[in-house]
Amino acid sequence: MGMLTLGHRRAGMPPAPRDVVGTSPPRPDALAKVTGAARYPGDLSRPGQLHLWAVLAGRPHARILGVDARPALAHPGVVAVLTAADVPRNRFGLIEDDQPVLAEGVVRWVGERVALVAAETREAAATGARLVEVTYEDLPVVADPATALAPGTPLVQPGRPDGNLLTEVRIRRGDAAGALAGAATVLEATFTTTWQEHAFLQPEAGVAWVEDDGRVVVETAGQWAHDDRREVASTLGLPDEQVVIRYAAIGGAFGGREDLTVQPLLALAAWTLRRPVALVWDRTESMLGHPKRHPMSIRARWGVDGDGRIRGVEADLTADAGAYASTSQEVVKAATLLLTGAYRVPNVALHGRAVLTNNVPTGAFRGFGAPQAQFAAESMVARLAEAIGDDPVAFRQRNLYREGDLEPTGRPLPAGVGALATLEACAAEARRRFGIGWDGLGRVPGASSAPRQAGEAVPSAGTDGIARKRPRRGVGIACGIKNLGYSFGFPERATATVELYGRGEVERATVRIGAADVGQGVHLALRQIAADGLRLPLAAVALVADDSAEAPDAGSASASRLTLVAGRAVHDAVAAARAKWPETDDERVEATVTYRPPATTPLDPITGEGTPNYCYGYAAQAVEVEVDPATGVVRVLGVVSAHDVGRAINPRAIEGQVEGGVAQALGYALLEDFRMADGFVLTRTWDDYLLPTALDVPDEIVPLVLETADPNGPFGARGMAELPLVPFLPAVAAAIHDAVGVWLTDQPFTPERVQFALDDSPGTSARVRTPSPATSSDDGS
Amino acid sequence: MRRFDYASPATIDDALALLAGGDGAVRPLAGGTDLLTLMKADIATPERLIDIKRLAELDDAIALDADGLSIGALATLDDLEDDPLVRQLAPALAEAAAAAASPQLRNMATIGGNLLQRPRCWYFRSSLVHCWLKGGTECQARDGENALHALFDQSPCVAVHPSDLATALVALDASVRLRGPAGERSLSLGEFFAPPTDDRRTENVLAPDELILSVRIPPPADNARGTYLKAMDRKVWAFALVGVAATVARDGDRIGAARIVLGGVAQTPWRAREAEDLLVGQRPDADLFARAADAALAGAAPLADNGYKIPLARTLIRRALAAVTADGAPPA
Ligand SMILES: Cc1cc2nc3c(=O)[nH]c(=O)nc-3n(C[C@H](O)[C@H](O)[C@H](O)COP(=O)(O)OP(=O)(O)OC[C@H]3O[C@@H](n4cnc5c(N)ncnc54)[C@H](O)[C@@H]3O)c2cc1C
Ligand code: SF4
Repeated sequence: MGMLTLGHRRAGMPPAPRDVVGTSPPRPDALAKVTGAARYPGDLSRPGQLHLWAVLAGRPHARILGVDARPALAHPGVVAVLTAADVPRNRFGLIEDDQPVLAEGVVRWVGERVALVAAETREAAATGARLVEVTYEDLPVVADPATALAPGTPLVQPGRPDGNLLTEVRIRRGDAAGALAGAATVLEATFTTTWQEHAFLQPEAGVAWVEDDGRVVVETAGQWAHDDRREVASTLGLPDEQVVIRYAAIGGAFGGREDLTVQPLLALAAWTLRRPVALVWDRTESMLGHPKRHPMSIRARWGVDGDGRIRGVEADLTADAGAYASTSQEVVKAATLLLTGAYRVPNVALHGRAVLTNNVPTGAFRGFGAPQAQFAAESMVARLAEAIGDDPVAFRQRNLYREGDLEPTGRPLPAGVGALATLEACAAEARRRFGIGWDGLGRVPGASSAPRQAGEAVPSAGTDGIARKRPRRGVGIACGIKNLGYSFGFPERATATVELYGRGEVERATVRIGAADVGQGVHLALRQIAADGLRLPLAAVALVADDSAEAPDAGSASASRLTLVAGRAVHDAVAAARAKWPETDDERVEATVTYRPPATTPLDPITGEGTPNYCYGYAAQAVEVEVDPATGVVRVLGVVSAHDVGRAINPRAIEGQVEGGVAQALGYALLEDFRMADGFVLTRTWDDYLLPTALDVPDEIVPLVLETADPNGPFGARGMAELPLVPFLPAVAAAIHDAVGVWLTDQPFTPERVQFALDDSPGTSARVRTPSPATSSDDGS
Repeated sequence: MRRFDYASPATIDDALALLAGGDGAVRPLAGGTDLLTLMKADIATPERLIDIKRLAELDDAIALDADGLSIGALATLDDLEDDPLVRQLAPALAEAAAAAASPQLRNMATIGGNLLQRPRCWYFRSSLVHCWLKGGTECQARDGENALHALFDQSPCVAVHPSDLATALVALDASVRLRGPAGERSLSLGEFFAPPTDDRRTENVLAPDELILSVRIPPPADNARGTYLKAMDRKVWAFALVGVAATVARDGDRIGAARIVLGGVAQTPWRAREAEDLLVGQRPDADLFARAADAALAGAAPLADNGYKIPLARTLIRRALAAVTADGAPPA
């Protein structure tokens, strides 16, 4: 499928002899990945290695009365059983170090690691893990975030200042209550979302060993080698430099590798036992073992004026943080900020909180709170448009952010506001593709198919004699906004070192930057940026990225930030190195540059005032669906996904992000129903947790790329990789509404829920599932 | 997975001798797509596996004789999906096989193993829960998460039978030929499948030391047509939320005989006899189908989360009946 590039190339830059930026050279890692030659962490081994097996709690909340390792140690081949007492500093965490490497006295969720068995063979390790006898006393389980704050509820982490309330955010501007009281039309609704599992193909794995010089090397996969190093070193009580994190091929991440999982276990065993060690998790361990996307419950009230302008928004969200903090504080801030989407709203009162429970911890997942918040925001916008008889595009055109508008936090948006442009490009293309239009736009010349009425029955082969129950088509559109880069004052920077080699002319270069290629292709993009700046062929630019001792810190592969921040660091380091070149006769020059984007600030705790972000990405998506009202099955037939990327460094990589992102978003919207009951995970394998297959994903995914230059990004580029996840869910909700006339408010839109929404006759309940506060009914034996 | 022994005997008698007295600790291995999954999850823990894929007398043959269609226990789902005889004489079975699992699984999965696969109830499939079906005292699903569970209550266990083939085969009035230490016996599938009881916590009456040799489908009646429809959460590669197999034989412009079997609603394939009775002797039309569909679900007793299956099953019944009574070729 072709990609349509709209807008303009960045002006003022003379065309390079080889315009490496803006082209799509083949991905250097692709062949090895599709032939199976690539070595992922699970493929690694070290001579003389021990095999590790983690003993998981298998119960959501219990006191550990004793751990008896003797039966395991008596098993042939078992070398050691490590427990909390063996961990030098038994705490870690990305934002807050509230999580033990091995459980200490109590287990707080079903996937908590309790002991670590090391054995000469994998089989002996597995058997040993079964033989470790842990005696527990079960404690009451906090499973429902809605009641976790009620007085008398057991505490997940006793000793915290606010009980089970992990964090709370308030953002206020103007007078929301007054605005809603005076608004011409006010709508209110509640939306719920459930967990999403990252489902990366390669479960957690790795090897570790201690070098002769005393350095602990952990070779694994992750999203930020330098922060993994910081956290691992801290658990061992070692200086950062004594730990080396190396990344093998990374089999997907999506935020699910931001938190440590196997890394501290590997490091602990290698360090304690002074033997190389290997650990490979299976799918169930992976599904239990890393944080998920937050389930959220969002209540929203939106009001519009008689002239169709949004007057005020009150919204309130509660997120289930699970048993440990992970990145919940940041996710909830981001989600709360985006509760008004990309709309100018003069009066806001937004409230968000994350609540501790004995459920699986939640953290980063592609979109970082934006998909949930904008499921609510975009659904409210669509419903308001409907309520006042307006067209969904025209209503958005009137209310979307413009350059210079104020955010809910009271400060102007960062420059480069592409909200309107992406919407209009998307709507025009959708009209052309799907043959259905929205009034505000006028007819697009060259439209291929005739406009069709929404909800029109699709001619169907079957003859069930019940016309109103035939499959119906519908089209929906939604916008999306997502911060690119770190927010709320979190230190944001990336460092790159560029080495130039040659006699007279620069002949080749090595770029060092610790940026993780999680599959998104950032390594190629960084080399393209360097090659372009150096006027060198791509082959003459080498990259060193996957070793915390060999490459400087780039920050994480998250927040769609690496092309923007790491790319700019490379761009600037290239410029600095080039500037040195004529001044020396050396055959090698080197420059190191740390790029720091414009500063952000924390939000004022009372008003929420502040500068939350330095850059936003904008997107709009239109989807066409077919809904079978009799079975509730929704099929997505086509997607138009418009993105303002600033500058497409590698257009094919963007296309790949859009296609992969749409597939992931489709799973989130329609299929992926991660379930827990009383703290137990029910969806433990991919047999139960349904991911989209190639047949579920439409052939027609049309990426539209706009290039409104970002003031800070390299060549004007900004990030985009999370945006395909943002508008999709509300766009599908709008399309379902267009097809069959009901608004769905609970994600995912499974056939059961669609059918229930259409046919709420008694005895056909598909109750919305939020875990109920019950005590654990089984003893977990 | 725990350590286990593996044997690959040459004859059925050798295999039966190895199974004898093993009382569940010795299990036959066919395609392994269910058994090995259960072993990896630590739910089945056999000490020994008897590979039955190399037994001289057990095969994957699909043959037609005066008594109908005979299908060897080792026939794969892929074989069934493509076989011209099956497609012609038992299209509901071919459709059920094609709708099951994924192409890779269908290449491995045998019809024998398919009928014997264990429920997909999430509590059953979690090694952390010792539920009633696994020998415990309590069914966690009954008052827990039961969206995928049974509408018809016939056992302490409310899990549904996961097999698509079983639903189709009951509608086709098929039987299984079994062999154990005492010799051979044949059972109709209606007798073979039986809701688990306190004394027998399985979904069928196969003894632990018996093997399925083959499946037999009687010759179809004149003017008979059949189909299998399946509703699932994902377009492919998912278990049935509800499956419906219908076979209808026409008698002039009326329905001469009908079988309607539902999958995904009970611990065994569920025959909707009330609906069948209502259809026989009537002229097919949409109103009749709707009444049959209502009759089929009249006795349903939904749990807290699975009520959606009632309208879903009704819809599939109506659609299946429309498909098998429509004039001209049955819709693909
Ligand atoms: C992801 C996934 C999706 C699936 N989706 C579907 C679906 O949509 N529809 C569906 O119907 N099925 C589905 N299945 C189930 C699949 O069809 C069965 O696992 C398969 O048919 C079992 O056959 P097998 O030969 O692999 O059996 P095995 O796994 O080898 O055996 C299963 C059981 O039968 C016993 N056994 C096997 N053959 C004999 C015999 N001849 N005599 C006595 N005992 C025997 C074994 O001892 C074991 O207890 C799915 C499975 C998976 C893993
Ligand atoms: S439904 Fe059956 S398998 Fe599921 S928990 Fe109950 S007894 Fe166990």
